[in-house]
Amino acid sequence: MENSPSECPSRRFCVEPVHSRGGRAIPFYTQQTPPLFAVLAHGMACVAFWRIRTTELPFRTALSTVFCSDRELHMDAAHIRNFSIIAHIDHGKTTLSDRLLHRTGTVTTREMEDQLLDSMDLERERGITIKAHPVTMSYTARNGETYELNLIDTPGHVDFSYEVSRSLSACEGALLIIDAAQGVEAQTVANVHLATKQKLAIVPVINKIDLPHANIPATKAQMEDILAIPGDNAILASAKEGIGIDDILEAIVHRIPPPAPTGAVSMQALGFDSYFDTYKGVVTHVRVFNGELRPGMLVKLLHSGKTVEIKEVGSFNPKPYVREKLETGETGYMTANIKSPKDVKMGDTITDARNPSPVLPGFKEIHPMVFSGLYPINTADYEHLKAALGKLQLNDSAFVYQPESSVALGFGFRCGFLGLLHLEIVQERLRREYNMDIIATYPSVIYRVVMTDGKVKEIDNPAFLPEPNYIEKVEEPMVFSLVICPNEYIGDMMALIAEKRGVVDHTETLDPRRVMLTSTMPLGEILIDFHDRIKSITRGFGSMDYEHAGYQASDMVKLDMLVNGESVDAFSCIVHRSKAEGRGRALAAKLKEVIPRQQYQVAIQAAIGGKVVARESVSALRKDVTAKCYGGDISRKRKLLEKQKEGKKRMKSFGSVNIPQEAFIEVLKT
Amino acid sequence: MGDVVEEDVIRHLYVHVPFCARKCGYCAFYSEAGEGALVSRYVEALVRELELVAGDLRPRTVFFGGGTPSLLTLGQWERILKSMDRLGLLGAAEWTVECNPATVSPDKAKLLRDWGVNRVSMGAQSFDESLLERLGRVHSRAMIYKSFDVLRAAGFENVNVDLMFAIPGQTLETWRATLGEALALGSEHLSCYEVIYEEDTPLFEQWKGGMARVDEDLACAMYDELLGAAAAGGFQQYEVANFARHLAGGSAEVPDRACRHNVNCWRGGSFYGLGPSAAGYVRGARTRNRANTTLYCEELERGRRAIESSEELGPLARAGEIAAFGLRMTAGWPLEQFRQRTGFDLPGEWREEMRRMIALGYGELNGERFHLTREGLRFADWAGAEFLRS
Repeated sequence: MENSPSECPSRRFCVEPVHSRGGRAIPFYTQQTPPLFAVLAHGMACVAFWRIRTTELPFRTALSTVFCSDRELHMDAAHIRNFSIIAHIDHGKTTLSDRLLHRTGTVTTREMEDQLLDSMDLERERGITIKAHPVTMSYTARNGETYELNLIDTPGHVDFSYEVSRSLSACEGALLIIDAAQGVEAQTVANVHLATKQKLAIVPVINKIDLPHANIPATKAQMEDILAIPGDNAILASAKEGIGIDDILEAIVHRIPPPAPTGAVSMQALGFDSYFDTYKGVVTHVRVFNGELRPGMLVKLLHSGKTVEIKEVGSFNPKPYVREKLETGETGYMTANIKSPKDVKMGDTITDARNPSPVLPGFKEIHPMVFSGLYPINTADYEHLKAALGKLQLNDSAFVYQPESSVALGFGFRCGFLGLLHLEIVQERLRREYNMDIIATYPSVIYRVVMTDGKVKEIDNPAFLPEPNYIEKVEEPMVFSLVICPNEYIGDMMALIAEKRGVVDHTETLDPRRVMLTSTMPLGEILIDFHDRIKSITRGFGSMDYEHAGYQASDMVKLDMLVNGESVDAFSCIVHRSKAEGRGRALAAKLKEVIPRQQYQVAIQAAIGGKVVARESVSALRKDVTAKCYGGDISRKRKLLEKQKEGKKRMKSFGSVNIPQEAFIEVLKT
Repeated sequence: MGDVVEEDVIRHLYVHVPFCARKCGYCAFYSEAGEGALVSRYVEALVRELELVAGDLRPRTVFFGGGTPSLLTLGQWERILKSMDRLGLLGAAEWTVECNPATVSPDKAKLLRDWGVNRVSMGAQSFDESLLERLGRVHSRAMIYKSFDVLRAAGFENVNVDLMFAIPGQTLETWRATLGEALALGSEHLSCYEVIYEEDTPLFEQWKGGMARVDEDLACAMYDELLGAAAAGGFQQYEVANFARHLAGGSAEVPDRACRHNVNCWRGGSFYGLGPSAAGYVRGARTRNRANTTLYCEELERGRRAIESSEELGPLARAGEIAAFGLRMTAGWPLEQFRQRTGFDLPGEWREEMRRMIALGYGELNGERFHLTREGLRFADWAGAEFLRS
């Protein structure tokens, strides 16, 4: 961990965290050791002891920076800035964050690599941030004043829009990054909407100006036309080349307002994310809006109703370090005796238990939007899967699961996700991090079923859809979707939206090249391949984003797949009547491919209610015998037969039909 | 349950001759091109192996298979036959030698017949020249006729003809023609195999490379054609792929020209298996010899059998195996014989399986015998697997 001074030229001081063997940073300070400023007060003798390493600056200068940092720790709200970075995917958010951390000396180049290595592989592979981390930076501005800049990272995908808005609500401002070559994209628009709703100061940054295709005037024009942000406000930058970084830091200081106390009677803080630490339990990311948050305080979590005693508070640099307190406007973390992440609702207001202040605005219960059954391929792995899901949930409170069972797939879990990406991430993490072989059923949204007796049921599993004669109507969740695509693809795009049962509300010309289509669509229709189809239609140039838009009555039916007359629950799905036949036909054809021939003909039917809409059949096996078999072959042959028999045992029987596990996987994959 | 009275001496002997003039495209049996020195070395090793087991062997059936046993020279045959004489292994009631039509000479046929070989199995495979070529056989159809005459002239009154069907490129018509020509030979026995695509054979590679395989419907039609033609030709089917005449007149569960050696194998009887890669089954223990001829010879030159692996199943697993393979025969299992051989009661232990097969029309329980029906024989692998017990 020894850094050479040349690696951190801008670094004032650093206090090295002690690393545990497991690799997770544990702050050097604990509550038993005196906090940093107290040590500093004891004079320079202690400095060496605390392993404060200076840079190439002379000793005297180092001394002054130490005292300077002492002052930083007593930062008043006027010297605090809380901000997020919002951007369309791949517009350079992560690179810019890294630049800022580096420029402010928060991390060294070496640490930055370590940091990257620590974060989820998946995040880097997909170029998205899944977990939001707040980081506290110290920056001495051109005016000579030193500021505490809190960067509150946001997840970069539409599935996590509530998490984005929660993170944004912890800020006073946002850096809006726009790629100079790509211009404004769908996610840019959606994020600006979110930031504007939160009344954040927006600092636009046109990034990647070093690219040969960069078109700064066009990007500025789009900002003005689409986002109503004056183009001249934009800072020109290249995070990759380090251009414009100081201008951005200055703009954060001067254009983003400092936090202002809410004027409430006591401490108010917003819990905007959490992670699970084996030693400390749930670590909640907090932004203090009013008053001070200190260890020992008894606080109430207003939405979850829990009262807990604060054990520790601190900030991230980007590793966690303990602080004496968090003051108005400051961002960091708190720990209390909270064992389960479910006990902390994200977006909850934390306040003094003895003298509570009102809730902060903007809280929403997170509701999973997409459901899918996850089953272990090897039934013996059920307990492993259960343990793995539990561990995943510790750091992902938006993910929910409960046991369910399926005739076809055995015992598994019904899991709820924020969106399809979230589902994919969870599946992928189960595979990679927990080595689980799993099968996922066809994803479903939550349908609202109004019964003839007036009761309303929420259905996320086709198996529980009531019989049609008990149903008054079915409502499905809708979204407003925003698609930006080059002009030449507008015809194909509208056809795609129509295919997905969407209605284009609005077509807007963005610039001479591109249009923006606003449409209302069923969420269930964009779950599977909408995004991929947009990318393929537009050769990668299209982008989309969406926000939830309530429920709408719809002619939804349950499509059953019958194998020799028996319904196979894993293949059932709720679909719109207009699509039932097509889907039924596709499923039947696929099943025909994957169901092995049996000794009798197997009928595959797709049915709505009792009505068959598609039919295929697997012809009967006419023979199953090896002609040649003599004394020398018997042992080998027996082993072969045993293997085949074993294979059949692993199949699931439906009536008299054996369906191998692979068949389910094949079908559910399509 | 499971108590079996074992034989005092073993009554059946299989000898593997691992040499071929050329490897056939479909063949997965162990064989190699016979070079003079290695063949001689093999003959000596085989004699040594015969010596090692002779004390426990009084053969009623002997079967020389391969490979191509008829490829051995007169001198080599004499060496083997004389040794068998010395060891008291002659005089089997049924003694079969496999022959390739291209390798049967009148001298050799006469030598074998004189020493007591009384059955020849001739690997004709097809009467269609182009298919013979596709299969990679070394003989022509003319050679089949010639060899058959040679065998009859030497005094062989029990000859089997091997045929193959569902060969890629074969049509129902060419199969029908081959069947007709084979039956016209007037042999006592007929073995007809559907082509098996075994891994590590050129045929398998061709199939993987995209060569069209005869489809199931056509293969089934060919099998139906076989059943019809064989019956019309006076043959009685006694196993999935085997047909024989019954010369004694009247009817029998197993025709008298059936290959008794193979019947013993299907019925789970003991037999010694000698020669490279040969499998044996002696008092419940299966053994397999080393497949590599040189290694086989080396072991025997050191004075010990070249057994590479052996396996002994528990009583129930053994009984299950015996049930499974016996059901390949049309006669199925006489319940009492099964009980004696395995110590288990077939309807007692396999009641559920038998019930299911009978319900499907695949099995029949006639008095004291359970057997598969004509339809059931088409699913003999499935049925056999049902009877296996681990």
